[in-house]
Amino acid sequence: MIRGVDLQLASCHGCDLVIRMRGIGRDASAVCPRCDAPVRFRKRNARSHVLALGVAAAALYFPANALTIMYTEQFPERRADTILSGVKFLWDRGSWALAAIVFTASILVPVLKLGALGFLVISTTRHWAWRPRARTRLYRVLEVIGHWSMLDVFVVALLAAVVQLGQFARVSPGPAVLPFAGVVILTMLASASFDARAIWDQGWDRGPGRGAYE
Amino acid sequence: MSEPVDPRLEDLPVPVTRRRKRGWPSAVWIVPVLAVVAAGTLAIRAYLEAGPTIEITFDSAEGLEVGQSDVRYKNVPVGKISSIELVPDQPQILVTVKLQRGAASLAAKDSRFWVERPRIGVGGVSGVSTLLSGAYIGVDRGTSNERVDRFVGLEKPPGVTHDQVGRRFRITADDAGSLGVQSPVYLRRQQVGLISELALTPDGKRVDIEVFISSPYDRDVTDTAVFWNASGLDVSIDASGLHLDTQSLATVVAGGIAFGFRDGDPPGHPAADGAEFNLFEDRGHAMARPDRTRLPLAMRFHEPLRGVGPGTPIDFEGLRIGQIDTLNLGYDAIRHEFFSDVDATVYPERLGAAYAALVDEGKRRDRTGPQMLQALVARGLRAQLRSASLITGQLFIALRWFPNARSPAPVVERDGAWVVPTEPGGTDQIQDQVESIVAKIDKIPFDAIGSDTRDAMHAATSLLGHLDREVVPTAQQLVGQAGAAMTALRDSLGALRDNVAAPDSAIQQTARSTLEQLEFAARSLRGLADYLQHHPESILRGRASGSEPR
Repeated sequence: MIRGVDLQLASCHGCDLVIRMRGIGRDASAVCPRCDAPVRFRKRNARSHVLALGVAAAALYFPANALTIMYTEQFPERRADTILSGVKFLWDRGSWALAAIVFTASILVPVLKLGALGFLVISTTRHWAWRPRARTRLYRVLEVIGHWSMLDVFVVALLAAVVQLGQFARVSPGPAVLPFAGVVILTMLASASFDARAIWDQGWDRGPGRGAYE
Repeated sequence: MSEPVDPRLEDLPVPVTRRRKRGWPSAVWIVPVLAVVAAGTLAIRAYLEAGPTIEITFDSAEGLEVGQSDVRYKNVPVGKISSIELVPDQPQILVTVKLQRGAASLAAKDSRFWVERPRIGVGGVSGVSTLLSGAYIGVDRGTSNERVDRFVGLEKPPGVTHDQVGRRFRITADDAGSLGVQSPVYLRRQQVGLISELALTPDGKRVDIEVFISSPYDRDVTDTAVFWNASGLDVSIDASGLHLDTQSLATVVAGGIAFGFRDGDPPGHPAADGAEFNLFEDRGHAMARPDRTRLPLAMRFHEPLRGVGPGTPIDFEGLRIGQIDTLNLGYDAIRHEFFSDVDATVYPERLGAAYAALVDEGKRRDRTGPQMLQALVARGLRAQLRSASLITGQLFIALRWFPNARSPAPVVERDGAWVVPTEPGGTDQIQDQVESIVAKIDKIPFDAIGSDTRDAMHAATSLLGHLDREVVPTAQQLVGQAGAAMTALRDSLGALRDNVAAPDSAIQQTARSTLEQLEFAARSLRGLADYLQHHPESILRGRASGSEPR
């Protein structure tokens, strides 16, 4: 199978114009003649971007789970819930389905996402030839479910806005909301930074040099 | 690029080239650095904010909830309950509390913790706010610099918290009465403190009370102050009437302690913190002069002591100088008789000036106290059981003089007490009273009374004779005259009836015609009045022709 890279062809990320990459010096970078966007064979520094954003997301994952995400005052009770204690609360109350959803969307998904991205980065760095189709599908799934991880943040934001009954019931966001939103956004950015084409680059190691990809 | 290339590819556009900027490796690595810094900051802040974790044992966790109930110092939340567990092998619960960092000083060794719940007592209502907010753990910050992490919780809020300024004093009492922790302490009926602790002494014989007098009243507690139990009502009846004494309505129910000063005592210096005092049973006892000299006496009575018991007064020349402490029945195996051993305490200072004089005499003659007593006994001082009132059967022991006492017994010491010989009393005394009554009857001059009566009778007889002789005939004469006068009166009345009351008498006739004329005149007058009412103008114009008055 022949790749665009092999023919010195690249498509512009901005306007999808197919460009023949020619006459580019060592210290020069290519720009799309039509839309002025930088043109590369592959996303620039894709793996290190994924790595950086993933590390950042992992770092924020801890405060997101350790701190209080939501204060609820329902007279005479006053609760300060972390994500996990909220899941436990729902579970104890018998709302198993809801508990499972919150647990999956807020705790499991970020971890799985980071794990999957890490796996994809490692597999492409090491040029593994293992099931590129399956890995591509994994990446597409990551892209789709990533949006749903913001569920918690939306729940808190909605409740805080809606439930304001003075002394009797009040919901206010806790300090964990920001780190949690950070986790979700960073994992989304990380998965967006990943270049799925790298999965298919294995076996072409001897093709154009590293510089040619960029 | 050795592979064949489609020539059409040559027609594809080629990129514009720009100088590649060489610089920092990649700006994206700022993101994880920021994230780590942010997470690290949060972690460090959480670590810094976390104060010590302490454990408190309570008897009951009623109202406490993990994660909900907080620890409050002066009603400011300073920590949260992180767990409630059972203490293994003990009927207690262990509450683990996470204190905030700023509240680390609350974990002082002498800090006290209690569960604040609504409480209703005779002294008032407390913790009402916990009805709505739920129970919480109250804390009283100790003053110790030593930090510990295990505490034993109080079941009730402490009466006095460490931050209250004042002094503590120890008071021992025979009986706590209705006193309890938090019972008020009064000075001149103003509450100046309260009972902070109350416990039996280790031997269980007395009650140890710790009172807290808040500043500035703590300076009023001087070394001459006397404390008394002000609980309930003091009702006393004496010659001046009924006296009712109470400190406040609350003390009637909840009890309380009052303190004051004896009249004539020097003001004294403020007592030191922790000074000890004695609790008197009431104000009267507290105000009484203290009995510094105690003289234990022992007496043996060979008569039934019904109505005598501990507290029965000992009387000397009308003064109550002591009381009976114990009473024991004994048996004399030689004489085969029962007797009663009475132990009593006498306070010779109650004799006042007499005691001073006795002491002086003792000093002059170089005699010891017992020798003085010996001398008094030799002169006939004896103890005797006497009845204070024949009606109520109240008894007391009197120290009296019996100049020819039958038993000139020497004073001996027995178990540290001086034995005073006794004289049989009781029945003798009743005899005395009966004798005195008989003597009084004897003194009545029955002879003189008899002769006086006879004289009076003579005088009465002569008076009656005189009446018989001189008054009776005159009376008869008067009666005859009265009869004649009555007859004449009856005749006059008959004539009057005939002339006046008969229907055909002249007076009757005249009177009737006069009345008829009067009636006619009245009728005319009424007609005139009616006419005038209808025709008032006729007064001026005269009667109009043709119109007749009705």
